[in-house]
Parts: sequence; C-alpha cells; structure tokens
Amino acid sequence: MTWSATARGAHQPDNTAFTQQRLPAWQPLLSASITLPLFFCAGLAFIGLGLGLYYSSNGIVELEHDYTGDAGSSNCSVCAAEGQGRAPPPPCSCAWYFSLHELFPGPVYLYYELSSFYQNNRRYGVSRDDAQLSGLPSALRQPANECAPYQRSATGLPIAPCGAIANSLFNDTFSLWHQHQPAGPYVEVPLDRAAIAWWTDYHVKFRNPPLVNGSLALAFRGTAPPPNWPRPVYELSADPNNTGFVNQDFVVWMRTAALPTFRKLYARIRQGDYSAGLPRGAYRVNISYNYPVRAFGGHKLLIFSNISWMGGKNPFLGIAYLVVGALCILVGFAMLVVYIRYQDQTDDDDDDE
Amino acid sequence: MDCSRLRTLVHRFCAGEENWVDSRTIYVGHREPPPGAEAYIPQRYPDNRIVSSKYTFWNFIPKNLFEQFRRIANFYFLIIFLVQLIIDTPTSPVTSGLPLFFVITVTAIKQGYEDWLRHKADNAMNQCPVHFIQHSKLVRKQSRKLRVGDIVMVKEDETFPCDLIFLSSNRADGTCHVTTASLDGESSHKTHYAVQDTKGFRTEEEIGGLQATIECEQPQPDLYKFVGRINIYSDLSDPVVRPLGSENLLLRGATLKNTEKIFGVAIYTGMETKMALNYQSKSQKRSAVEKSMNVFLIVYLCILVSKALVNTVLKYVWQSEPSRDEPWYNQKTQSERQRNLFLRAFTDFLAFMVLFNYIIPVSMYVTVEMQKFLGSYFITWDEDMFDAETGEGPLVNTSDLNEELGQVEYVFTDKTGTLTENNMEFKECCIEGHVYVPHVICNGQVLPDSSGIDMIDSSPSVSGREREELFFRALCLCHTVQVKDDDDVDGPRKSPDSGKSCVYISSSPDEVALVEGVQRLGFTFLRLKDNYMELLNRESDVERFELLEILSFDSVRRRMSVIVKSATGDIYLFCKGADSSIFPRVIEGKVEQIRARVERNAVEGLRTLCVAYKKLNPEEYEGVGKLLQAAKVALQDREKKLAEAYEQIERDLVLLGATAVEDRLQEKAADTIEALQKAGIKVWVLTGDKMETAAATCYACRLFRRSTQLLELTTKRLEEQSLHDVLFELSKTVLRHSGSLTRDPFSGLSTDGQDYGLIIDGAALSLVLKPREEGSSGNYRELFLEICRNCSAVLCCRMAPLQKAQIVKLIKFSKEHPITLAIGDGANDVSMILEAHVGIGVIGKEGRQAARNSDYAIPKFKHLKKMLLVHGHFYYIRIAELVQYFFYKNVCFIFPQFLYQFFCGFSQQTLYDTAYLTLYNITFTSLPILLYSLMEQHVSADALKRDPVLYRDIAKNALLRWRVFIYWTFLGVFDALVFFFGAYFMFENTTVTSNGQIMTTSTHMIFGNWTFGTLVFTVMVFTVTLKLALDTHYWTWVNHFVIWGSLLFYVVFSLLWGGVIWPFLSYQRMYYVFLHMLCSGPAWLAVLLLVTVGLLPDVLKKVLCRQLWPTATERIQNASVRCWDGIPGFTPLEPLHSLGHRSPGALAARTTRAVYRSQEYCVLAPGLALPHGCCHSSWRHGRRTSRPGTPV
Repeated sequence: MTWSATARGAHQPDNTAFTQQRLPAWQPLLSASITLPLFFCAGLAFIGLGLGLYYSSNGIVELEHDYTGDAGSSNCSVCAAEGQGRAPPPPCSCAWYFSLHELFPGPVYLYYELSSFYQNNRRYGVSRDDAQLSGLPSALRQPANECAPYQRSATGLPIAPCGAIANSLFNDTFSLWHQHQPAGPYVEVPLDRAAIAWWTDYHVKFRNPPLVNGSLALAFRGTAPPPNWPRPVYELSADPNNTGFVNQDFVVWMRTAALPTFRKLYARIRQGDYSAGLPRGAYRVNISYNYPVRAFGGHKLLIFSNISWMGGKNPFLGIAYLVVGALCILVGFAMLVVYIRYQDQTDDDDDDE
Repeated sequence: MDCSRLRTLVHRFCAGEENWVDSRTIYVGHREPPPGAEAYIPQRYPDNRIVSSKYTFWNFIPKNLFEQFRRIANFYFLIIFLVQLIIDTPTSPVTSGLPLFFVITVTAIKQGYEDWLRHKADNAMNQCPVHFIQHSKLVRKQSRKLRVGDIVMVKEDETFPCDLIFLSSNRADGTCHVTTASLDGESSHKTHYAVQDTKGFRTEEEIGGLQATIECEQPQPDLYKFVGRINIYSDLSDPVVRPLGSENLLLRGATLKNTEKIFGVAIYTGMETKMALNYQSKSQKRSAVEKSMNVFLIVYLCILVSKALVNTVLKYVWQSEPSRDEPWYNQKTQSERQRNLFLRAFTDFLAFMVLFNYIIPVSMYVTVEMQKFLGSYFITWDEDMFDAETGEGPLVNTSDLNEELGQVEYVFTDKTGTLTENNMEFKECCIEGHVYVPHVICNGQVLPDSSGIDMIDSSPSVSGREREELFFRALCLCHTVQVKDDDDVDGPRKSPDSGKSCVYISSSPDEVALVEGVQRLGFTFLRLKDNYMELLNRESDVERFELLEILSFDSVRRRMSVIVKSATGDIYLFCKGADSSIFPRVIEGKVEQIRARVERNAVEGLRTLCVAYKKLNPEEYEGVGKLLQAAKVALQDREKKLAEAYEQIERDLVLLGATAVEDRLQEKAADTIEALQKAGIKVWVLTGDKMETAAATCYACRLFRRSTQLLELTTKRLEEQSLHDVLFELSKTVLRHSGSLTRDPFSGLSTDGQDYGLIIDGAALSLVLKPREEGSSGNYRELFLEICRNCSAVLCCRMAPLQKAQIVKLIKFSKEHPITLAIGDGANDVSMILEAHVGIGVIGKEGRQAARNSDYAIPKFKHLKKMLLVHGHFYYIRIAELVQYFFYKNVCFIFPQFLYQFFCGFSQQTLYDTAYLTLYNITFTSLPILLYSLMEQHVSADALKRDPVLYRDIAKNALLRWRVFIYWTFLGVFDALVFFFGAYFMFENTTVTSNGQIMTTSTHMIFGNWTFGTLVFTVMVFTVTLKLALDTHYWTWVNHFVIWGSLLFYVVFSLLWGGVIWPFLSYQRMYYVFLHMLCSGPAWLAVLLLVTVGLLPDVLKKVLCRQLWPTATERIQNASVRCWDGIPGFTPLEPLHSLGHRSPGALAARTTRAVYRSQEYCVLAPGLALPHGCCHSSWRHGRRTSRPGTPV
C-alpha cells in the first residue's frame, strides 16, 4: 500500500502557475480603439521626421561629372578612345572645368563613382586573402586559393596583394585647381587624402608585413605585384604610413560595394582657405585617366558633395518617411470611419450572441 | 549479442520449411516420447532472451544514421550538405552542416540513451534467475538460457519467465491465480487451470518423470487465444490427449498470486512470447497539421527549385555578353574556362539551390518536435484533468497529435464505462412477471440484513416460489465471478460488510453486481472450490453444485451458460444473456410479461439480462459433453466449432426472469456532450448495448433532446421494409428539412431546433456496409453517410468491437475526410481507438487495455471537454502559428537573397554573412516562436471552456488553409521586398554613410556590401520578431524574456562577431560592420522605417478583420478587454442572459429536458436559478409523440 501511495503522490501534478498555464500575463489586443491613436501619432511623427530629412537632404549640394569620355561628351573622350582595346591603357590626362557662382558650403567631399562594375560578384568578392592583408608573412608567400587566377604571377611568384579586387584597384587620380579671378592663375586646392577609409580597417584589419631590416620593400621580396599594377604595393605612396597594404586608397577599394553602381570617397577638402567650402570661381579638375571602364559598359563619375547630420544626399529616406506618415494618417482616417460605422453593428452582434 | 542474432537468423534460414508448419511439437522436459508416437519434425526455437533494444554497440552509428536519414527532411539537408561539400557553392558547408549535425546528434543521443535504458532492462530481465527442473532436480539458471520444453518452477509473486503450459500447482484443485497487470493492466486475479492429468504432480521427481508432448499453434500475438493439445504417455496405456486452451497458458509478464508455486513447461520463449509479440509498435498517426505542413513544404520546394531555375537561366542570358561573363577585372582561371557549359549550368543550378535552401529550415522540424514533446507535458500536468478519486492523471502516449485535438469533427464514444461510470448496481429482478427490488439500500451501502425483498406485485404462488429460488440459484451459479480470499487486501473492491468478507472479482462488473444483488436477496455465492460451487441459501444452508461446464461469454453470442449438477444429482443448464439472444431460444415461460418488463427497464436506461434454464437428463448431458469435448480438442477452427457447439446446446430453454442493473452516468457527461455539440463536433455513441438502454442513456446525457426526431435503421424495421426503401425514406426526411430550413453550416444542427438523431444497430450496419451483389457497392454507403451527415447525433447499438472500428473507418474515409476521435475504456474499444485519428482511452474499471493503446488517456469522460476545447484549441492555434510563422520568416530571410542576385550579376553572392545564415533559424528567431508555441493563450482557458462555440473557429484546419498560407507567404514576400528595396534605395545613387563620430578622426565612411546585408538582416530580425510579438496575446514574463532577449542577443552577438578579428576565420568581412552601421543615423532611421512598413499591413489586416469580420474568438477577446476596461453593461453572463432573452422557447425546452431519474443527472443550465423538476417521464412522453410509429 505504501508503494502505491507514493506513486499516487508522484502522479499528482504540481500546482504551480507555470504547469497549470496560469502565469500572470499581459494580454494586449490590437483593437481599433488602441491602434487608431497609434496610427495618428506614428503618422504625425513620421511626417515630421520626413520633412526634416527631406529638407536636410535637399540642403546638400552635389556636383557631378561623367568623365568616362563617351565620344564628344568631354575632353576625356580622347583618353577614352586612346585607351580603347589596349592593355594596359597608356597614361593620359584630361580635365574637367566647372565654375561655382556661389560658395559650395563645406566640408566638401570628392567621390568617384563607377557604374556597371560588379564588385559584388561572388567570384570577385572572395578573390582576396584577408590573412595576407593583415600582414601575416606566411600568407604573403602562400596566397589563398580564392585569389586565382591572381594568385601567382606567370613566373610563379606569389602575388601580393593577391586577388581580383586588389588587381583592379582604381588608379585614376585627380587634382583640383581653383581660379580666384577670371583669367587668373589656377591655384591647387589641397585634397586631404588621409582618413578616407574606415578607421578600423586602416588601423587594425590591414597591416603591413613586419619590416625586414627596416625596409618594407624587403618584406615584400619574393612577391609579385598584381598584373595590372605598374608598381609594387610598397611603392603606392611615398608616405611610409600610407603605403603597402595600409594605403588609404587601397583600403577604400578593398571594401567591396553592395551594388554595381557605387561611389567611393576620394578626398576631403577642408584645409586652408577651403575649410568653409569651395568659394565661388572657376575650377579645373586634372584627371589622370587610367582606369578602363568602357570595356564592360561602365561609367566613371566625379562628384563633389557636402554632407549633413544624416550623411550624404539621400532624398529617399525623407520621401519614404513622408509617404509612410501620410499613409498612416490616411489609414487612420479610414479606420476611424470603419470604427464609427461598424461599432454599433458589432455591439448589436454581441447582443445577438 | 550480434552473434546470437545472426545465429537465430541462420537458424531461421536453415529451418526454412519447418517454420511454415502451423503447429509446433514440444517434448516436455526434453524427454523423447516412446517410439511409435507421431512423427516429429525437429524445430529450432529461439532462446529466452528478450531483445527490446534496437541497436547494439557496434551497429548504433550506422543504423541510427540510416534511420534518421530515412526521414525525408533530414535526407534533403544531407543532400544540400553534400552538394556544398562537392561543388563550389556560395555558402560554406558549415552553414548547413552545423545545424544538421546538431539535429542528428541530439536525436542520436536521445535514441541512444533510450536504447541504453532498454539494454539495461533487457539485461536485468535476461539474467534474472529461474528455477527449473533438470533430471528431476531443481536448478537455477539465468532466464535467457531457458529453452522450449524446459519445465519451470515459479513461486508466488514471481513473474513467469516465458509462456508456460500450466502443469501443476501446489493447490489441490490444480488452479493458480494470476494478475496480468503488466500485460493488459487488469489487476484482478484470474484463475488458470492446470492440465487435468498432471495437476497431481507435486514434487520435482514426479514432474521430472513426466513424459508428454505438446502440440500447439505457432506463436501469435493475441493474448487471449491459444489452442493446443497435450499427449501424455504413460507406460501402459495409450497416450491421453487433452485439449489446451488459454486457461492452461501462463503468459510471460503475468505474476503468480495466491499460489505457493507452480510447475509449467515452456512453449514460447524469448521474442516469441505473446508479450514480446505484443510490443510491436503501433502504426504512427500523423496529424492533419503535419499533413498540411508537408504540403506546404512541397510548395516551398517547388518555389525553391523554380527560383534556382529562374536564376540559372537569367544568369546565362545575362552572361551572354562576354564583358559581363568575364570582365577584365574578374577573369576566370583556365580550368573554369574549359568547363563544359552544361556542367557549369548544372553546378550553378545546384549552387543556387544551396543559396536558397534555407527557405526550408532544419530547425522547423526540431522546433515542431520540441513543441510537441514539451507541450504534451502541459496536458499531463493539468490539475483539472487529475482525478483525485483514482489518483490518475491524464497520460500522453503520443505527443504527435496534440493539435489534432483541436480539429475533431466526430467523436465516437463508447457508452459503458465511458459515458457511464461502469459502476453497476443491481436494481431489480423480475421473475415470471413478479418484480423484486432489494430495498435496503442506503447511500449505496448494503445493510447486512438480507431479508429485504420488496414485492411489488402480488405474492407468488407455490410453483412461483420454486421458480423464484431457481432463478436466484441461477444467478448465483451462472457467472465467472471469483471470491477473493480474505488475506488479499489490495483488492479494489471490498464488500462493505467485512465481517463476512465476500469480495467478488470479475472481468465483468455486471456479474459482480448481479452476484451482490442476489446476495441481498438471500442467496450468497460462497466460493468455487474443487469444481464445486458453494452457495448459502436463505436458510443459511450451504448448497454445493458441481460445476460441469462453462460455456463462456462472448460478444457475438451475447450470453453465457453453466452446466451444474446439484447435490440431488439433477443436471441444470443455466443461461444468462441479452434478451435478444435469449428470447429466440426460449420455449417456455412467461415470455410476454418478462419482455414487457425488460423493455420498460431498458427504456429507463437499465442494463437488462435474461435468465433461462434447462434441465438435462444424464443422456443429454453425455451428448453435450461429447460435443464440447470434440470442439475443444480441435486444433483447427476451434472457435468456430465451439460456437457451433454452444449454439446446439443453448436452446429449448425455459425462461426464468430478467434482471436490471443500473449503470450511472459519469458526472458531467451530459454537460460534456452538450459542450462538444455546441463546438460543432458530432457525437456518436457506439455501444454493444441494447437499443432501448442506449437510447435512454443518450437522452440522459443530452445527446438526444426532446426536440430530436429519431430516425431508426434497425433490424426490427428492416424486417418490415427493405433496406433500400428505409434508406431512401430516411434520406428524404432528412433532406427535406435541410433543404428548406436555414441550417447552421458547421454542425448541421438546424437553428429552429429541428434536429435528427439516428439509431442504427449492428445488423443493419453490416447490411449497409455489405457490398451489393450488382457490384454497385458504396451506393448505400453514400446514402447512409448522407443521412448521418444531417443528423446531429447518431447512436449505434449492438456493435461488435470490429464494427465500431468499421464505423470509424467509414466516416474517416468519407469524402470530407473529417477528423475522428474515438474514446472508450474497454478492450472492445481498442480497435476503434486505433482506427480513429485520435484515440482516447478512459482509465476505467475494465483494465488498462484501452488506455495503453490510446494516444491519450484520461481518467474521466468529462475531461474530454478540457482536452478538446482547451488543450486541443491551444495546441492547434500554437502549432498553426508555428508552421505559418516558420515559412513566413524564411521567406523574409531568403527572398532578399533572391532579389540580390539581380544586382550582383547572378553570381550567387550571399547577402548575409555566413554566421547570420547559420544562426538566423537556430538562435536569433528560434526561441520566441518556440516559447510562443508553448505559452500562447489567445483566449483564456476559462473562456474556451465556457464558450464551446469558439472551437468552430478553428474547425477544418482553419488556420492552415491555402488562403491563410498564401496570406502569410505574401506577407513574407512583401516584407522581403520592403527590406531589400528599402536598403537598396538607401545604398543606391547616394552614399549612406557614417559620420564616424565615435572614432578618433571625424571621417566619412562608405559602406560596402556586408553592411548592406547586415542592414537588411537587422531590419528582418526585428520585423520578424516584432511580428511574433504582435501575434502574441499572452505575454508572460517568459515571452518578454525571449522576445526582447533574442533581439538583445542579436545585437550583442553582432557587436561581438564584428568586434574581434576571429583567428579561425579566413575572412574578416564582418569586422566592425555592425558597429559602423550603428554609427550611421540614416541606418537607424531606415531600420525604424522599414520595420514599421513591414509590420503595417499585418497590423492593418488584424485591426480591420477584427472590426469588420470578427470571429467568435475575437469577439470574446474584445469582450474581455471591454470587461477589463470596466465598460458597464457587460458581465460574463451576458451571453446567457441574451440567450434567454432571444429564445424563450429554447429556455423552456431546456428546463424540461431530460432531467433523468436522479439528482445527479440534473445539469443546471448555467446562470439559471429555475427549479428543476426531475420530470423523468417528460422526455419519454415527448419522444413518444414525436415518433408515434415506434413502440417504446
């Protein structure tokens, strides 16, 4: 009997709120009366936010120029025609003239934009070796297989930096000249090319291999530059803090873009007389035209832009907020009508139950 | 262990033909019979090792893996994994390998553990010592070494090590008592009989000297069937042949009781014992939800394949331009260029498949499984379903069907023991038309004073008195009741007057009630000893009758008989059985009066039995004995031959009288049935009982109401008309009304109260189901189904167990494929419990057979209400949301990836990082939905119980219909479009940038593709989780914890994942991506906007649907909110008041309806304080008037 008594005790379910599914609970309900004010509030807030965004985005000035060099469009067409079908294209330079009638408020950023360039192609995107780029000497000698066919040079030397991304580094260069007075001399506007990459990329993720005898060139000995590069990686810049894998342009390029049309930051204008922006006057951008894009139907653009508290020019966000806010209010009204119109009927139905 | 398996296999193989022999011959004690005995075919038998385990140490890994990959889902993921291993795919094999490995490992560990437990149990059983006789000496050996033919000794309270033929016991009469609690759950003691000629052998020497062979059938799983014979050779004479039946067979697993020791010879060993044969697993039942889940899966598989195909084709169209296929900045290797185009295309197709394969997540299976497994605990824990009286709670045998409980459309219920308590009470007996009522009943207690006989009719004549005593003797003798010995205290049933202890045990509670009843009338059955039945008559004299034969009860014959020899040498045959099986065999007696009384009692819901007798002269008896002996010895068709013999013997009887036994309704049975009917469930009662009894019970439990028009399809009616005419007439009646009247589409109950009840009996049913000769079978079947569909309640009486299953099958496979539930308590309900979609066993008095074979077991019928209306509803809602949500969130997950292909040159670039791909379903979005599917209560349990109508809201798989599924899928696609194009427009054309204020240099950073993916992913995780939050109606702290916790976890994980250069990763693409995104104001704004837009349509749909087309459930929710808000004018009782207000007629009907016989049956209409007159004739009156043509 004792046995069955304990068994009975074991059978008896625990009487806790959890086992009996009676935990105290908040039981909200999405009824019209609750959501109505919510819709109106959200709608108003969104419209407010949208207006703010829209105006701040509208306040951003952008100046862009396509210098691909389609026939007759600009003086870069010469370069484009010259480079057609030749690899590597011969060095060529062209210029873009523009004038500002009022101050282009600063800080001004200079971007380049490429289109129809699939940096997000899978085979392109994986064609890099992060271990190599972090300065690991073993990876320097043994680039990852993903880098193929840019893994080893024709002579069998490991390529550093390996891979398609590095090989296709954007190599057009720009310099900006300002003419204060008409017919006056052009003065070069200083372009700040430092700190255009992510701070973490530049300082942590990308590292040069340890120096050999204090020389970066020796550290890279036994490697070949990517086939398209005219110079090895340690000669990217004269500045020892901006050469090798930690070259700002290189780091910027290595962050692959999300979409086939993308912009990358080239420089900031914030020094000297130009810290407040670009003053009125005539300008010339000297372009050294190296990068072939016409082979794949792409375009190259140069863009001057300033930014607001929310980043670059982005009308989408403002408009989207306005639309959604308006929609909320509209739906709110529709719901109000429904609510008033059908409220009584529901009550009647309830009575019928 | 493997060796032995192999050995048995080899033996099986070598034995070849012998195994086809229908019978086996066993040498008792391995002693050769004298030469000249029958030809003997040597057979090999397995040893007595029980192997319930599935695996051995060696074959565990391959076998388990094989079994797991037989599941189609696992196999699919394995294929995906292999494809990832073999070809160059966009995602690493880890993304699908890790979850698959996890799932497989967890399952393997679980199964391995279970198997280890089984091994342990097997070993314990196989090694337990057994005594057996070897060369006339007692030896101890391990159980597994036992072989067929060994003579075994079993002591009291030991379990039998294998199936034994009972040779002798230490009891003088050669009987032993056995409980089969572990086999079929019946704890009552059963008597088994030793073989007549060996029961005298007491010592080991005697037994060891026995020379005999046993012939018996090959093992079969039926526990209650056994045929065989024993040939006993003695030195001098011819062998003695004795029949062996199940009464001589002691089954492995049963326990010896009340007997010091027995000897038996092993006939079936090891895996051939009946117990082992019975442990074969039941066929798995699949729920409707699971079926629709599989259909949805196929849809998604098609979507997956077509997505991959579309992308592959587009890829090659797009690449047809060489500058796109291989631009100068992204050249191919030599080997890539040389690849065959078709091979390349095929590889690309597979790569796309891999890329999109997450649309069918592994984790869905795991989550569904976990939800079912954990969720079933809430059922077993439920206190409301715990019966304190018996100490039993609900049992869940299959957790696969939790949600099916919410989908039930037909309930098939047994009557006795399910609707009723199976607590029989002797009410009256009628002898030759005189009615006797034992009147000294007070609170169910019988006072020891046994003189109380209330004569209702006039006092009987002298000859009547003789008949009366014969009747009582008949009741005392014609049964299989045992008297439990004094010292047994663990009996479930103890007679209240413990001074003179007479505890009766029987497998049939009716018999106990009768024996107890006749005890109150003055005749006490004392015991059965040495084939003599002793009874104490009114004068307190002991009368002894020699028990000659028992013609045992079976449900086809529906009667039983005994042949006894009185002290004076007269031989009587007493027969007792259902009126329908007795009356045709009666040639004498006051048939008419008794028939009238029987019918009157039946109408009152009493179980009636008729008693008849016949006096046999010795010659007749000799004939009878021969007949029986011949039938009993037969090896082939013994059942049939016995039945024929019984048929011949039980005729030309003299009717003595009838008895009436009351079986009370279970508490709240009526309430439960009413609730089920309101819930749109059709309740059918299937019973073996008489029509009148069953109908009365149906009225009492409100299955039939006063307004119900009863249609009959019974043998009685078929005698007058042909089946064809009856069916057509009935269908005309039913359809005429259904055509003209407004009917509630859900239940078929007409709104004006005109509903039909159908009564059909077993014979008529078999006619309906019999295929017609012209070959146009199914014709009647359809007509019959049509009638049934239009009836609110159906009563099937006089059903054989198999017919119950047939009915269930008939409905199950009718054209709507409704979900059926069968509930019963006895062994006769097992077939229907197994047949129905959901089988529920009532843990009742008739053993645990039903409970063991059921999917769920409950202590009382009333618990069915909570089981279906509350648990079923909850689990259905939960699992439906679980399934839909899983598909939704994976559409959200994968569709942006599909869209991204259009912007990355169909290069199979993943949008999200590998970690996100892997962990999305496993961690970020898994717990909230799991907890939701365990905790959600969209309406309170009380409301569900109070308002059964809510059950109809989810009928017919309402939440998993195509419409709903398509809504969810489109919601997913919409959300995916919002996420992707939202992010696209943010990144397109202009620069979404970070000011990078937190870094030392104020800079302006441009985001790459990983930030793009992370933005989409972040929006998605938030939207998907918040969508679940919107659907959650029941926010316990657990829900808060997992929903906000998993969002927090996502953020923390992302920060961590991007915050460190992980040395084990070959790429560092996520380094600081997430943190930089958080530094960007537009990203925050975009997340806010896109999440809002993603949720907006769903909110809108919810609010509008609730306002414009509220379901009953939503009304209740609204009401409860209003109640909370304290809006005056609403009380929980309002629906009742309004109901009363609306239909005063219905109310009146309710008060006068079926309030039957005693106070227990008065089910108070909730909220009504009207006095309930227990007007027990009113409904009968109503029924008479409504159905004038039928005699009552």
